[in-house]
Amino acid sequence: MPVVESTTRRTGGSTPHRAPGRATRPRRRQTSGLPWLLSLPALLLLAGILGYPLVRMVELSFQNMRLRELISGRPAPWVGLDNYTKVLSDTDFWAVVWRTVAFTVVAVIFTVVVGLGIALLMRRVARGVRLFMIVAMMFVWAMPQLVAAQAFRWITDSDFGVVNYVIDKLPGVDYQNHSWFVNPWQGWSVITTLVVWAGIPFIAITLNAGLTQVPKELVEAATVDGASPWQTLRSITLPILKPLLIIVTTLSVIWDFGLFTQNWVLRDGHPEPQYQTLATYSYTQAFGQSRYSLGSAISVITVLLMLGVMAFYIRQMFKIGEVD
Amino acid sequence: MTNLTSVPGADVVPAPAAKSAGRKPSTKREVNAFTGLAHIGLVFWALVTAGPLIWVVLASFKTNTEIFLGKPFALPQSFSFQTYVDAWSEAHVGRYFFNSVFVVLLSTAGTMLLGSMAAYVLARYRFFGNRFIYYLFVSGLAFPTFMALGPLFYILKNMGLLGTYTGLILVYIAYSLPFTVFFLAAFFKTLPYEIEEAATVDGASHTRKFFQIMMPMARSGLVSITIFNIVGQWNQYLLPVVVISGPGSDQKLLLTQGIAQISVSAGYHAQWSTLFAALTLSILPMIVVYAIFQRQIQAGLTAGAVK
Repeated sequence: MPVVESTTRRTGGSTPHRAPGRATRPRRRQTSGLPWLLSLPALLLLAGILGYPLVRMVELSFQNMRLRELISGRPAPWVGLDNYTKVLSDTDFWAVVWRTVAFTVVAVIFTVVVGLGIALLMRRVARGVRLFMIVAMMFVWAMPQLVAAQAFRWITDSDFGVVNYVIDKLPGVDYQNHSWFVNPWQGWSVITTLVVWAGIPFIAITLNAGLTQVPKELVEAATVDGASPWQTLRSITLPILKPLLIIVTTLSVIWDFGLFTQNWVLRDGHPEPQYQTLATYSYTQAFGQSRYSLGSAISVITVLLMLGVMAFYIRQMFKIGEVD
Repeated sequence: MTNLTSVPGADVVPAPAAKSAGRKPSTKREVNAFTGLAHIGLVFWALVTAGPLIWVVLASFKTNTEIFLGKPFALPQSFSFQTYVDAWSEAHVGRYFFNSVFVVLLSTAGTMLLGSMAAYVLARYRFFGNRFIYYLFVSGLAFPTFMALGPLFYILKNMGLLGTYTGLILVYIAYSLPFTVFFLAAFFKTLPYEIEEAATVDGASHTRKFFQIMMPMARSGLVSITIFNIVGQWNQYLLPVVVISGPGSDQKLLLTQGIAQISVSAGYHAQWSTLFAALTLSILPMIVVYAIFQRQIQAGLTAGAVK
């Protein structure tokens, strides 16, 4: 039977009579175990390495696991909500939460706005310039976070840093041996600059790719009708870019909320209290101080916080993935 | 300013300009003035972007004294690759480099194989539990890396995978799968159904359809997500720190760990130029990968994410 059909096809036989069968047949046959078989390996891995730790972490957060239990292998005692009450009544923890939230908001806004701006500008420049831009940005994107953080640590070094050297050259400014991390505002501007700088390429390149999909005719028609560039941007470009914007913004929030490497490295692996984010805080609690359960509770609260705030956008992002 | 004529919008202006001669010229001039500014702004921005990178590369050729001399943008006195040789052999960067290459190669291959299979069936097959599995995968996107580090540590320890590449590779694959599946599922959906159906009719097996028809059609999407995974996994620092730990792990460290080690042990006394050489070496492979696949990355990003 398949042979016959294949020959008719090859000889260019007419196909209409096949149309109804075509729609149903592939679907029918596929209800076998094949789809499960193909997605099973990935699923198992995900369950084992992301899912199980997740469950264990939630479990751990209701226990009291200390170094003693870890070494002896004895089961850790259940303590109910103790860890949570301890964390939630801790003023240090809330300070860390607000700091992380504030940083995320500022960093994401800067990254997305500047990234969008650059993507828009890239559409307007000559091909050669655009290529140069993309290459420059790919360098940055390709740089491991750790490497970028190391570079920034040196650039802002109080004795030998380039930044102090350049600022000191300005007339009447003495920035020799200025330390950027004594004042947390200055320190966080350095960290934010680093994160935004490193985050822009991904967004700009993605949005630039998306902008190529904006139909030229629409923009031209709007311009002919007398729309200002701002109106064109708001009513034509942004709506078309919206799915992409939601994806990159959501991803940026997830990434920035989990800030770890940058402040960790810039503070030499020992972030002072005013440079702790939720990620470093839970890590220090769990591994630095061997309070594994407390660290787990902090992680659980962090994820709940983020999911709570982001629920809407994450839903949007899921929907975008399901094109039909 | 001759390059202004090649601006995408500029070549479409003349045709309508013939019809409504009154308004067009002013619009055009506005666009051009703006474009000139845009060029200047962009070049400036590119320099700012690439500045730190240039500085790192320059510093990697300098001696310690030169680095501490206080002339950050001065060219090194001599371009010798001695710092690179030192970093490569004495600081064991060579070994760490190949460790990283080995791990990333295997884990990216694994991610792509598992991820594309899962994404393919999720995108093209209707079966019971499809949506459930899809959401399961994609919800993995919402979890920040650091969060399950503690329990991850225990599991790997219990399974005897702590300090092994097998463990690390499995962890890398699992952490990369959500985005890979999310992106590829969207990509597979955009591909035409007719060719696949023709193959079914011709009696092609599922495996054959997948490898000989779907994979080649999805090439640009596969390439760009592969690059994305290579970069992401090459850049990992936190996961290897957790996984490659314990006794006997000195030999197995990855490049990012090696770099961290150099900078921690260096203080103000040791060879800082070694650190910069190591940093430069860590960026190089990514640049090579980008240079080769630049075009596909663009194509893949466009097709996959925008419908």
